[in-house]
Amino acid sequence: MATPIPPPPAAAAAAAADTKVDYLNLPCPIPFEELHREAMMSLKPDLFEGMRFDFTKMLNQKFSLNHSVLMGPTEVPSQSTETIKIPTAHYEFGSTFIDHPRLLLWGRILTDGRLNARVKCDLSENLTFKANAQLTNEPHMSHAMINFDYKGKDYRTQFQLGNGALLGASYIQSVTQHLSLGGEVFWAGQHRKSGIGYAARYNTDKSVATGQVASTGMVLLSYVQKVSEKVSLASEFMCNYLSRDVTASFGYDYILRQCRLRGKIDSNGCVAAFLEERLNMGLNFILSAELDHRKKDYKFGFGLTVGE
Amino acid sequence: MADSVISIQYLKDFVNSQIYDDEKWAFNAKLLRAAGLFAGSILLMRNYGDLMAI
Repeated sequence: MATPIPPPPAAAAAAAADTKVDYLNLPCPIPFEELHREAMMSLKPDLFEGMRFDFTKMLNQKFSLNHSVLMGPTEVPSQSTETIKIPTAHYEFGSTFIDHPRLLLWGRILTDGRLNARVKCDLSENLTFKANAQLTNEPHMSHAMINFDYKGKDYRTQFQLGNGALLGASYIQSVTQHLSLGGEVFWAGQHRKSGIGYAARYNTDKSVATGQVASTGMVLLSYVQKVSEKVSLASEFMCNYLSRDVTASFGYDYILRQCRLRGKIDSNGCVAAFLEERLNMGLNFILSAELDHRKKDYKFGFGLTVGE
Repeated sequence: MADSVISIQYLKDFVNSQIYDDEKWAFNAKLLRAAGLFAGSILLMRNYGDLMAI
């Protein structure tokens, strides 16, 4: 008389282990400021209007120089609803020093005297120092900000200090393999205002969903779906209750062998596309277009990038 | 009964104020349009995203 054999306990245990969360072995989350990283990559390309030429020269393994020329109309802020533009031209000189992975120095200066500078330095294995500054000739228009980022086993924390008595801190923690939650506080001493914010991020191999709210009235939701190795689709919802501004965007990102094509449409009637084509090693051709049908503001740009 | 009547009346008044106030309706229309685009695009990419793959 044959009796049914019970299933092997090892298989059952293995199946149970697959679904159980190992809370002592969670991954390290994305930094708080990069929570919406995938959506930003797809939905916010570097759109421009006019002609752009970038030239990068590597002097050695770590040091490079950069020359940029941008010629085209620039929008002048005006009181009327009509868009007013004047033709302008900018030349920007830059230098970059990268001692990978510990040190990054980055500087850019424009012909009108504006200077941008960035520093990123690993003070220890888990502690990173960042600083950035924008200096201008106009009085009281210069800004500087420093950051201390600490990376823990399954959490990240950050402290910020800026001019104008600006203080900020954030913390983000992985709670499961796919979900991380975070919070931030900020204080603007010059304006005597403080705020608090919360954020959540859920990511799998194929999709990323994020949400963020702050007491300043800001709500930001985003969703990115990776439909194949080459194609990503992204959607974003942004609402600022105090300024009564609300926008939603839907975009795509095609990464092909020789080119990358990104585009989006948003609820304000704005349609944009951005194409980067690699003509040769170190030579890239760029096309940019942004059509704001409501404001009748149409921008087209083309550019070349030499060296990378 | 009285409570439910009051609640229904409050809800009616709230909805009317949101719709018939021009300033509020301008913001609400923008909000509905943006939320609709956001939700619609998520549904689109989850159900038909594969058609856009190459």
